[in-house]
Amino acid sequence: MSLRRRELLIGGVAAGAGAAISRIAGVDPAARAEAVTAVEGKLSERVGFEGAHQAGILTARPRHAIFASFDAIAASPAELAEGLRTLSERGRLLSGGYDALLGSPGEGPTPDSGVLGPVVSPDALTVTIGFGASLFDQRYGLASHRPLGLRPMPAFPDDDLDQSECHGDVIVQLCANTEETLLHALRDVSRSTRGVLGPRWKIEGFLPSPTRESGAGRNLLGFKDGTANPDVENERTMRELVWTGSEEPPWARGGTYQVVRIIRNRVEFWDRVSRSEQELMIGRDKAAGAPLGKDAELDDPEYAQDPKGERIPLDAHIRLARPRTPDTEGSRILRRGYNYSRGIDEADQLDMGLVFVSFQRDLERQFEAVQKRLAGEPLVDYVVPTGGGYFFLPPGARDSQDWVGSGLFL
Amino acid sequence: MRVGLGACAAALASLALLAGCGGGGAATTSAGSPPAQPLEDLVLLSGNIPRVRPADYVRPTAEYRRYVLTQLGPMQREVQRLRAAVAAGDLSAARGAWLAADERYESIGAAYGAFGDLDASINGGSGGLRGGVDSPEFTGLHRIELALWGRGSTADAAPYVGPLAADLAKLRRSVPTVEIEPLEYALRSHEVLEGTLDLQLSGRESPWSGSALRALRANLKGTEVVLGTLHGLITRRSPTLLQRIERSLAALRASISEVEAAGGSLPRWDRVPDRVQTRLAGLTAGAAEQLAYVPEVIDPRPPLPRKSSIGTVEAEAR
Repeated sequence: MSLRRRELLIGGVAAGAGAAISRIAGVDPAARAEAVTAVEGKLSERVGFEGAHQAGILTARPRHAIFASFDAIAASPAELAEGLRTLSERGRLLSGGYDALLGSPGEGPTPDSGVLGPVVSPDALTVTIGFGASLFDQRYGLASHRPLGLRPMPAFPDDDLDQSECHGDVIVQLCANTEETLLHALRDVSRSTRGVLGPRWKIEGFLPSPTRESGAGRNLLGFKDGTANPDVENERTMRELVWTGSEEPPWARGGTYQVVRIIRNRVEFWDRVSRSEQELMIGRDKAAGAPLGKDAELDDPEYAQDPKGERIPLDAHIRLARPRTPDTEGSRILRRGYNYSRGIDEADQLDMGLVFVSFQRDLERQFEAVQKRLAGEPLVDYVVPTGGGYFFLPPGARDSQDWVGSGLFL
Repeated sequence: MRVGLGACAAALASLALLAGCGGGGAATTSAGSPPAQPLEDLVLLSGNIPRVRPADYVRPTAEYRRYVLTQLGPMQREVQRLRAAVAAGDLSAARGAWLAADERYESIGAAYGAFGDLDASINGGSGGLRGGVDSPEFTGLHRIELALWGRGSTADAAPYVGPLAADLAKLRRSVPTVEIEPLEYALRSHEVLEGTLDLQLSGRESPWSGSALRALRANLKGTEVVLGTLHGLITRRSPTLLQRIERSLAALRASISEVEAAGGSLPRWDRVPDRVQTRLAGLTAGAAEQLAYVPEVIDPRPPLPRKSSIGTVEAEAR
């Protein structure tokens, strides 16, 4: 290589690197301001990776999500820890955005898949990491660190679970505004943990466009879903219902339990049911989403004035899920689900439904209590839980050196 | 495991780090500045070791050809056993001989490209054939597998065992002179295990016998042989890569042995519990991920002009 050319190249690289730095928004106050004022759904939208709690729990739901479950296949606790540290490192980088290393002649495997081109925008990506009960077995010496309430998701009476889509040692929840951002992130985190985490199952979810109508989005039964969620702005409520506290070992405080349930909707059957029958099963008006007999989506259903269920049947879904009585309000859960749609089954019926996701401080007191009340509801003829699992999501990474789950390996 | 990417992206200002992002380092050596005298005995820095030249592959590929020949002899005897068992109508003996022959063939899988049409005739699947399993072009090991397991019939296998033996004899004659391209050979080190993931652990290649685990064991052996012939070239240029590779292969080897020890022999792939399947497939993929850096380190081609790894830079420099 001639000296002249070398000089040119070095000059070029240096200039390019300068330009690249200025594009890493977040170090530049002007760029930060732009990100804050960005409208929802913008590529520049950034959700911080670090904090007392992990992102992707209380943060706004972007339109797309992937839930990927992995088994730990590392040979030693040190290798596992290194893999989990890498997982956080990639999560931090991906959710911040960066200039992709697309590879250079003479280089080996391309450093970045290139799916997003040379600039990886944050796109509201969150990478949320959790652990299943099976991680706390004898393999990595973690048995004594198991979060108190963590156990494998049981099969409930109305379930029809496919074990190949259940459980897992590690779950990674990816949420972002666009699907391509998610697929890029999934390939990146899978690759950087190859040989440490073995992919087990995954499911992709989506939400309807928020520009379509106001209020909660619709599920694939055509009903508004998520209306009665607790207020995520209320810190006290979140402490009561979502974040773990002094009941847990120190490393697990400030985390939460996640339930993921792949709930298939028998949509062909459902579409053969009349609107009024559907509404009686759900308890809401199909158009406005209001509780039956009320006007607006957010209206209180006022069950006390309807003790016999003449307006909203006693076994309607919303009434069983949240009876709004003093003794059941503590069992509320924070739902953050997504719709899913994939192939067709052997009887040529569509496989679509809900990736039910809830966060709670106590699985037994909250999710399982709700589940018990819902057992045998009329809706079970149209919905079939087929997969999922229970996971514990540790507190967030404290700073740029910390990683999710580090407390397990101290 | 791929670590350090984050550090590289975060440290774009540092040119020294940028140059090191590729992983190998050897590939970035300038062609214009070869060392005047051999420094390899004195200098451990990979950047001062000359690039691999096509001529450096003569010995490794010759060694590999010798290995293939040492496998083909026993495989011919296994196919003779298969032929005899089929002629005698002894299904169980035929299956045993088939498993041995198939595993043997999988252990030389690194040469598949070089074998051309013969490989298709010996080891081809039915997927790309018009008519699928009924196609007259569906022959060889997997057609016989369909007969012995899918149809439980030695008679159905009979028309295919003779031609298989003939193909093998032809193959054995051609191996000493078969051309193995240096770059192709460097790529084999990770492509063999990618083949395992693509064809075997997916259950596609051996659906009837369920012999994917045996194929995995054999493919791993074949990978180790290829790597062994390249050991000298790699270790001088990137000893750490070789260590990472050997660690990942050891984990895979141990995991296969564990499954074998638990059952006394390797079970059918479709009888392996989900979690064990995930583990074996994950470790296979993990090994492929490490092996994929081999071609970079021992690329026999002349270097290409350097270009930044960041896609946007070059345009801006102009």
